[in-house]
Amino acid sequence: MTQLIKIGWLFPNMFNLHGDRGNILAIKAEAQRRGYAVEIEQINLDSEAFNPMDFDFLFCPPGEMEHFKPVVEFLEHHKDELIAYIEEHPMLVTGTTVSLFGKLIHRDDNSTIEGLGILSLETTENHSVYGDDIYYSCQYNGKEMEIIGSQIQMMDLEINEESPFGRLKYGYGNTGKTKYEGAISGKGIFTNTLGPILVCNPWLTEEIINLIEVNKGWTAFEAHRDNSLELMSLKTKTALIEKKETRLVKLSER
Amino acid sequence: MKFYLALWFAKLMGIAIKLVSRGRGTNLPGEKALSIDPSFVKHFKNIDYSKVVFITGTNGKSSTTNLVTHILKENGKKIVSNLEGANLLSGIATILAKEASLTGKLKADYYIFETDERYLPLIYAQLPAENMLITNLQKDQVQRNGDPDFIIRKLKEVINPKMTLILNNEEPRSRFFEEIARRSIYYSVSRHDESFTKGNDYPTQACPKCHHDMSFDYYNVDSIGAFHCEHCGFASKTNPEYEVTDINFSDRTFKLKGVVFHMPYDLPFMFYNYAGALAVCEEICGIVPVAAAKAFENFKNIGGRFEVLKYNNKTIKYMRIKQENPDTLQSALNIMASDSNEKMVALGLYVVNDFVPHYINTFYAFDCDFKPLIDSNVEKYLCFSEHVSYDTANRLIYEGVSKDDITIMDSDDIKEIFAEIDRAETDNIYLITWISTFEKMKKFIEGGQN
Ligand SMILES: [Zn+2]
Ligand SMILES: [Zn+2]
Repeated sequence: MTQLIKIGWLFPNMFNLHGDRGNILAIKAEAQRRGYAVEIEQINLDSEAFNPMDFDFLFCPPGEMEHFKPVVEFLEHHKDELIAYIEEHPMLVTGTTVSLFGKLIHRDDNSTIEGLGILSLETTENHSVYGDDIYYSCQYNGKEMEIIGSQIQMMDLEINEESPFGRLKYGYGNTGKTKYEGAISGKGIFTNTLGPILVCNPWLTEEIINLIEVNKGWTAFEAHRDNSLELMSLKTKTALIEKKETRLVKLSER
Repeated sequence: MKFYLALWFAKLMGIAIKLVSRGRGTNLPGEKALSIDPSFVKHFKNIDYSKVVFITGTNGKSSTTNLVTHILKENGKKIVSNLEGANLLSGIATILAKEASLTGKLKADYYIFETDERYLPLIYAQLPAENMLITNLQKDQVQRNGDPDFIIRKLKEVINPKMTLILNNEEPRSRFFEEIARRSIYYSVSRHDESFTKGNDYPTQACPKCHHDMSFDYYNVDSIGAFHCEHCGFASKTNPEYEVTDINFSDRTFKLKGVVFHMPYDLPFMFYNYAGALAVCEEICGIVPVAAAKAFENFKNIGGRFEVLKYNNKTIKYMRIKQENPDTLQSALNIMASDSNEKMVALGLYVVNDFVPHYINTFYAFDCDFKPLIDSNVEKYLCFSEHVSYDTANRLIYEGVSKDDITIMDSDDIKEIFAEIDRAETDNIYLITWISTFEKMKKFIEGGQN
């Protein structure tokens, strides 16, 4: 019997800003390396029967706030299902879209958007953009790891009582004023990290698949992925971070 | 009075700068004038705003401005344009100061200004042009612009019901503005031999009118092509007024409104510039396509498909791309893919170093379809450039290239790049890197060190 992993790709066309398709390629490739079949379903405003529980992994890429309202209306019907889903199941939300899962979004034009309220985040859109590398440590599925990526930040993310996903080693993170990066709730990762994060950090991708194996009651796949290329990449990127000029507030002063 | 002071100061400064350096224009006179009189541009006399055209958008602004200006001049019109200056308010101030009389009067048939989309509100506040051509609104320079909506919001501050817009029929984001403008004129390119489709797991975009997903039947340039929204019916028009048709790559000709044109550059993204320029020339300036066609014979623009370097017995074809912009990278990939001869591909995506902080961004490469290139007879790949090379290689690996077929070089050392080119059996070398590395390579070859 083939072992099938089902991936739900939320709003791939509407939310398509930073080569986010790479995350889908990465998760698919790692699942296939372990011999699993992969099915990817795209969910959009016209999807009639969306049930998070049909999926082993959900990915929601960053999008323009301009399109947030219809998405909130769509996902509102699935709010309780999504809250239950992230208790056990891996979900990845990246970039601006993190705010959509939080509470209120304050836009730069003084208008507001009511988010889904799955997390108690509050977001303020900024008047200008901040783009930079981002580098932090975090824990996922019980494993400590380092994450490298890029960040195109158009907002400040106040995570209130939510737990941060990462502790910054370099970068703007949620507000540029704290050491926090993103938020984690259950098995749901809400991060500002682009890159795409699952391509640049296969150790995270591996943990997501490990978790899926547990959720499905499959025996863990033994052979590890060869991450040498990505480790070299991490090394040369941190070398740049260490030597480059920056205008960020020093972490020790945050 | 402040205005005159500013004007004379700018004029004198312009002359002085010209005496000292004969090179490129500078915005300094305009900058100074604006610091003396913050409303400097507003105070020029007898500018008929119905004769002013702004050319804005992500890609193709300069080429389109260049072509419009060229066609109009060839047809005997007196034109004021910022071709040699910056596309910011200070650039426009500089050129107006230079062209005006000592009393601030201007005499021109038309004013054609390339305008940076981010600074459009600032420019429009002092120079309310009644005509605007939008080339396209794409993902671009995310470190500055974030997402396309960031730029759309800037344009919304400016576009109003008094304006005539010249719009790309096949680009949904800019087509959105047809709802606001007094009048919209559409330019278009029909499907041609280098039109393409992408794998169906490549995302498209949301309909700017109803938020639902949009479909593209094909692309003429990345993200630009015949589109439609199933949900609200928003679609590219089937009979746009200014359509480039019958594109013939071997004869280098195309047709528009029944007139045959010689095409100076056979690049897919240039076709839209041709169509847009011809629309502006006829609709705003009264130059009909037949009259414009003559000017195409001697039109010169920077850049063709690629710049060629001869190195030993090898031909290096250099293609310049805009970083953080998937559209120009896709165009370069398509050009390589259209050459079925055996080739080496040297891909040097590099650290984005426009301003502090410099940072690593290669994610835009995941928006681009590498498959046609990979299927086009590539002997070897070189991924180079410090801090970025592994990511670049990974992009290829995720598209199915074997790790063993890629040389990864975490460096920008041109000697190492040449050494890798030496190792290729093919003499057909494609190169993508930033201009500074290319210039070094060019100098190396011209210096006869090979
Ligand atoms: Zn603001
Ligand atoms: Zn629509």
